[in-house]
Amino acid sequence: MSSNGSRAADDTRLWDEARGVIRSRKGGWVIGEAVYNHGYSMMEELVGQRSFFQVLVLNTVGRLPERRLAEWLEASFICLSWPDARIWCNQIGTLTGALRGSPVAAVAAGCLAADSRMYGPGVLEAAGRFIQQAQQRAAAGESAEQLVATALAAPRPPGTRPVIVGYARPIARGDERVEAMERVGQALGFERGPHLDLALRLDTVLARDHAEGINLAGYVAAFLADQGFQPTEIYRLYSAWVMSGVQACYAEARERPAEGFLPLRCTDIHYQGPAPRPLPPRAEEAADRPAP
Amino acid sequence: MNGSRQGVEGRGEQFASGVPTALWLEQPTPHNPYLAERCYCQGYDLLALMAGRSFVEVLYLLFRGELPSPAQATLLERLMIACINPGPRHGATRAAMNAGIGRTQRSHLLPIALTVLGGDHLGGGEVEAAMQQLSARKGEAPSEVITTLPLADPSAGDHHPLPGFGSRYGGIDPLPGAIAQQLAALPAAGPHLAWGEALAQQLAPHNMGWLLPGVVAATLADLGFEARQGAGLFQLLAAPGLLAHGLEVARQPITAMPFPDAEHYVIERE
Repeated sequence: MSSNGSRAADDTRLWDEARGVIRSRKGGWVIGEAVYNHGYSMMEELVGQRSFFQVLVLNTVGRLPERRLAEWLEASFICLSWPDARIWCNQIGTLTGALRGSPVAAVAAGCLAADSRMYGPGVLEAAGRFIQQAQQRAAAGESAEQLVATALAAPRPPGTRPVIVGYARPIARGDERVEAMERVGQALGFERGPHLDLALRLDTVLARDHAEGINLAGYVAAFLADQGFQPTEIYRLYSAWVMSGVQACYAEARERPAEGFLPLRCTDIHYQGPAPRPLPPRAEEAADRPAP
Repeated sequence: MNGSRQGVEGRGEQFASGVPTALWLEQPTPHNPYLAERCYCQGYDLLALMAGRSFVEVLYLLFRGELPSPAQATLLERLMIACINPGPRHGATRAAMNAGIGRTQRSHLLPIALTVLGGDHLGGGEVEAAMQQLSARKGEAPSEVITTLPLADPSAGDHHPLPGFGSRYGGIDPLPGAIAQQLAALPAAGPHLAWGEALAQQLAPHNMGWLLPGVVAATLADLGFEARQGAGLFQLLAAPGLLAHGLEVARQPITAMPFPDAEHYVIERE
């Protein structure tokens, strides 16, 4: 037995069984017959009949949601589609355009940048975990005030401010997108579930005691928890959340002169390192020299 | 299931049963065929290369198939030093710093920056294009070539009449010229660097000269690399600086970098 006690040394059966064969629970292309996606024939039952966001959910989590949920998801994607080149991921799209890269490279790099622990889809999994665990504790009797206090007291790296993932945001206080999504949810006939209800009660406590509030990631994580999504599923669904805004910024920069975006003079760099100094001789060269 | 489609059938092509490579040999252990006990880079034992060769020699070996001469190794190493950091004002570096300050996963910093460095303006795309042009035109005298180039460009901004050569911020970028001069003086420098030097002289009266992608292209060509290798090698050579700058700001607050305020963000109405 190996040190983990579960398998004999050099027992390669797991890999031998997978060697040379692909097994998919998702579906695939049966040439000459159909492309199957979780049992649906894509050309017969999905194309032209279901929305892109319905199929995104199907591909990602294996369930075909009702259309209104797909419409809600689409609206939430619009919320991160700002054509503002100051936003970090968007600016990477701008820089790609300014250096004449491809639009696909711009969007890919911008989406990768938004895999951040400060904004974008990178915070969704943690936001989902937080609200789902908080809901369990609330159901066990903890108050919103206790939940906020516990979260703010959680261990954190030295020198960092206490934060609750899904609450507060960089650059500004308040989140206009939450209100917009509230309107979308109401228009689509969604009722507020227990996760979102708790999330908004936490928002009330934070606004009252700390002048902070829920952000879009916290809202999305709570709403989708009420719709039965796990944190990992939410993270996956939103992988390309910022693509549209990145594309806008790329397109604008690509149509302007190369390197024309916020050009920096040498003196615009605030250098903080050592002053210029002579290169020391190699160790062997120094050894060859007579001692002074 | 509800699907069947008439008239679609596979092409029946014969695909290889294994994955081809001439670069790398892995010898399995006797007891586990998934584990390699020896690896050979272009036929040389990796452990022997570790003990007896420099990184730059093995890099050359990996891509060119043979170990370089000492002079070739020196030329490549000098080029690698020249390219080690595009600098904090290059767009690819700024992308890395944007990602760093924006708390992007640190493992993404380099892929993001390298993606931006792949562009056709001062990026990998321009290196590849420059290598193609150098290969195609090195038989022509630079004094003749310049008469065929579109030296005037009505569009705004810098102009690259030939990939790898042109203006930078409206003038001649001095550093690529100095780098090219140092590289061209090395024993392993060849006809591409010499040709580029001559062309840069022809371009100088027009306020244009070497651009770094051109220097990289000419040096790689003199070392025997192919144009198709140029874009990726340039990205590889510039990677250390991109990563270093991204990591440098990744620990700093977002306020450590500029974020234009409303006065400096002008929305132009159509």
